[in-house]
Amino acid sequence: MVHVEIKAEELFAIGPLIVTNSMVGVLLASIVLLLAAWWFTRRSGIVPSRGQSLLELPIEFLAGVVRGTGGKRWRQFAPFVFAIFLYVLIANWLSLLPGVGTIGLAEEVDGEKIIVPFVRAGAADLNFTLGLALISFVAFVAFGLRANGLRGYLKELLIAEPAYMTPLLTPIHLISELSRVISLSMRLFGNVFAGEVLLATMLALTTATVFILPLAFVVPGIFLGLELLFGLVQALVFALLSMTYITLAIAEHRQHGSSDDHSGEAPEQGAAPAHGSA
Amino acid sequence: MGPDQGNGNGAPPPNWGVAFDLGLRLGISVILGVGGGLLLDSWLHTSPIFTLVGMVLGIGAAMYTIWDVAKQSMGR
Repeated sequence: MVHVEIKAEELFAIGPLIVTNSMVGVLLASIVLLLAAWWFTRRSGIVPSRGQSLLELPIEFLAGVVRGTGGKRWRQFAPFVFAIFLYVLIANWLSLLPGVGTIGLAEEVDGEKIIVPFVRAGAADLNFTLGLALISFVAFVAFGLRANGLRGYLKELLIAEPAYMTPLLTPIHLISELSRVISLSMRLFGNVFAGEVLLATMLALTTATVFILPLAFVVPGIFLGLELLFGLVQALVFALLSMTYITLAIAEHRQHGSSDDHSGEAPEQGAAPAHGSA
Repeated sequence: MGPDQGNGNGAPPPNWGVAFDLGLRLGISVILGVGGGLLLDSWLHTSPIFTLVGMVLGIGAAMYTIWDVAKQSMGR
């Protein structure tokens, strides 16, 4: 019987704080990232070793993408984009390790025995993805405020051109802004949760009867490989969309031709134009 | 293709994230508009006025999103 709970399952409580299995997954991802950062900063050299080059490869690729599409001020938000990418990537990939989602406590619910796993994919919990989307939202609002100033930002958000269209266009603009947060969080949650359900279903199907048992060693493996790819793509999409929103928030400033640059960063030579900056 | 050379002719690399984003945002905009309208109607007992207004605004927001994404893409 396939059992994948949409809600993260409670493991224990520390006072009012309820610790769920998804929270354990996210904490593990944080620990892995912190240890990797500690190790990397101690071992890295100016002339990279083979291992260091391998680790730097995805970062260099992402730096290229951010530099190409992020506009002149890409250096300001590149660390944020990298952090989001690595966090989501590690959280997604950790969920594919053996034992994650499969080892846990046996519990009886409605007369059926189910396993409540100790660790579960962090992004299979909407709280995590919504939290990340809100962080992204705060980041692109903050970058917009930095570029436009409070007055310019509110004017951009609340006052339409021509002014008599404001009562109609302002709610439309607000709905569109809000849809970014929901879209970011729901996409990541939906993909990771669907992946969990898919893997559980494949495992259940291939272990249903003894005649097809050999398939249990092949079929879930194929889907695990696909999940590895989807985990990477979703991390990339989340990070790139966050970057796009930040770039837009900054680019709007330039579109309106304001001369006061609140960020105070000098333009970079050879930088590509930002989205919507034409 | 090197990491920072875009597509090799000076143009920035395509941002596929925007394409992934568009479809979902269209649906969410309409749901937000209709949902907000339904909530206001149940609160103020004015059904179906705000539901209809919300639907129009949601569809408007979806169209605005398309326009916004097209504007960015053309600006590249």
